[in-house]
Amino acid sequence: MAAPRSWALWSFCCRGWSRVLPGCRLPGLRSSRPRGPLGARPLSQEKRATETHFGFETVSEEEKGGKVYQVFESVARKYDVMNDMMSLGIHRVWKDLLLWKMRPFPGTQLLDVAGGTGDIAFRFLNYVQAQHQRKEKRQLRAQQNLSWEEIAKKYQNEEDSLGGSHVMVCDINKEMLKIGKQKARAQGYKAGLAWILGDAEELPFDDDKFDVYTIAFGIRNVTHIDRALQEAHRVLKPGGRFLCLEFSQVNNPLVSRLYDVYSFQVIPVLGEVIAGDWKSYQYLVESIRQFPSQEEFKEMIEDAGFQKVTYENLTSGIVAIHSGFKL
Amino acid sequence: MATLLRGVLRPLRAFRSRPRPAADVPLRATSHGAGLLYPEHIPTSPLQKALLAAGSAGMALYDPYRHDMVAVLGETTGCRTLKVLRDQMRRDPEGAQILQERPRISLSTLDLGKLRSLPEGSLGREYLRFLDVNRVSPDTRAPTRFVDDEELAYVIQRYREVHDMLHTLLGMPTNILGEIVVKWFEAVQTGLPMCILSALFGPIQLSAQSLQALVSKLIPWAVQNARRAPCVLNLYYERRWEQPLKALRQELSITGPPMHIQGPA
Repeated sequence: MAAPRSWALWSFCCRGWSRVLPGCRLPGLRSSRPRGPLGARPLSQEKRATETHFGFETVSEEEKGGKVYQVFESVARKYDVMNDMMSLGIHRVWKDLLLWKMRPFPGTQLLDVAGGTGDIAFRFLNYVQAQHQRKEKRQLRAQQNLSWEEIAKKYQNEEDSLGGSHVMVCDINKEMLKIGKQKARAQGYKAGLAWILGDAEELPFDDDKFDVYTIAFGIRNVTHIDRALQEAHRVLKPGGRFLCLEFSQVNNPLVSRLYDVYSFQVIPVLGEVIAGDWKSYQYLVESIRQFPSQEEFKEMIEDAGFQKVTYENLTSGIVAIHSGFKL
Repeated sequence: MATLLRGVLRPLRAFRSRPRPAADVPLRATSHGAGLLYPEHIPTSPLQKALLAAGSAGMALYDPYRHDMVAVLGETTGCRTLKVLRDQMRRDPEGAQILQERPRISLSTLDLGKLRSLPEGSLGREYLRFLDVNRVSPDTRAPTRFVDDEELAYVIQRYREVHDMLHTLLGMPTNILGEIVVKWFEAVQTGLPMCILSALFGPIQLSAQSLQALVSKLIPWAVQNARRAPCVLNLYYERRWEQPLKALRQELSITGPPMHIQGPA
């Protein structure tokens, strides 16, 4: 292993390089690229390397972030309605299953990234509140003789109904956060909830802060998925859990054909009729096809440093929950 | 050491080929100008057109303020009728000129100052007054997207832009009653399925009083005028701004409205 100073210099050079080449972090990469006659990398390869996919379109990486932002800005108001229409309400079951897999206990610190309209956050708050209430009931039944002070405190309702749990909702898009905050106000969620504007590739949090990190239907919109995974690894406490709910590859050929027809023929039409926006929903179904398969994504999560990575298919693989631990 | 190895392997994985969709899934390869017939074109399959027609009809009934749905309904159901209209325009000298020159009525092409300076009673001045009183703008018309022929896309775009002219010619405001009357006129003149559907189903939302006035006076008047008048799409409105409105109405055999309709609230 090289001496620390030269290693630092080398990694500094590579960091500049990594802006040009996605996914390149270490010097070992050089040997894997095909080289021209003089040993220099041909220019066309460099150009291609800064391009990425936006649905089935090819765009530059700088463009992709902006385009995705515009998509979500325009769908924000009708986001929840469209989710219900497109998935016939099944997305609620998927999100419930994510919570049941998580099994948070009161006191959990959750970071929900790309959590814009708050679906996961609200479910989390409901879950821990129910857990906390159950615990309280058990405690009450166990200790029948309470002192006057304890009874008075219970009446004053000064206790935290969530038992110390907290969820931080982080999203890159202001419109989505706005809708989420409106929903929270309308449904009466106040305690244990915070809204932060932030980029999944560069989270505005310190290391080792959260017990659970979730990202539901958000990671396929991130330009550099590997960076998002690395940030997830960074902000989780040791022992923390990474959970990702995302559209994935269908494993059943019949379901796959029906799903394709439904995705490409019906969903953009629904988007046009309900939300007045064909192109955003065209992007949605295309971005689902561009996302890596369950196994590939599992490997990407392992690369970021997570261990005990597993995945569970829901609805024949239309959706998959990936889970990993930072140990 | 293990992390170093992982770092070497990771970029290789990033360049692995992405899962490609099945062969029969329509690719959006055409969305970058390659297969597009005009800038805003979205190619659609027959199934998508059918779903769009049904969905837009339902949504237009449910929420009458979704003008874009009425537009989509027109585009998806009007194939045959648009061809007939286009041929009709070709046969007329003024219409053929319009098809060739493709004028557009929008705020960028209209010279508002010049229109305002025109004498009272001229087409241009009355059109401008109509826009001001009803607080509408010619730029709120959605561009054509689902028509799979470039000339027909222009025809339907022209029809939409002429719609405001019809309001001026017939003296109808832009509230629901006024719109229904204009739609009856257009239905008889153009035969577009969307106009016919709007004319038949639009009145569902009206009060009994308005419905009575509509059926007894306004619809017969609109239908009579539409039958008498030549095709309104054949008029080169941009060249007729100075023409007095009365003279134009006489030319088209359009009589004045049988009753005064209150403007939009």
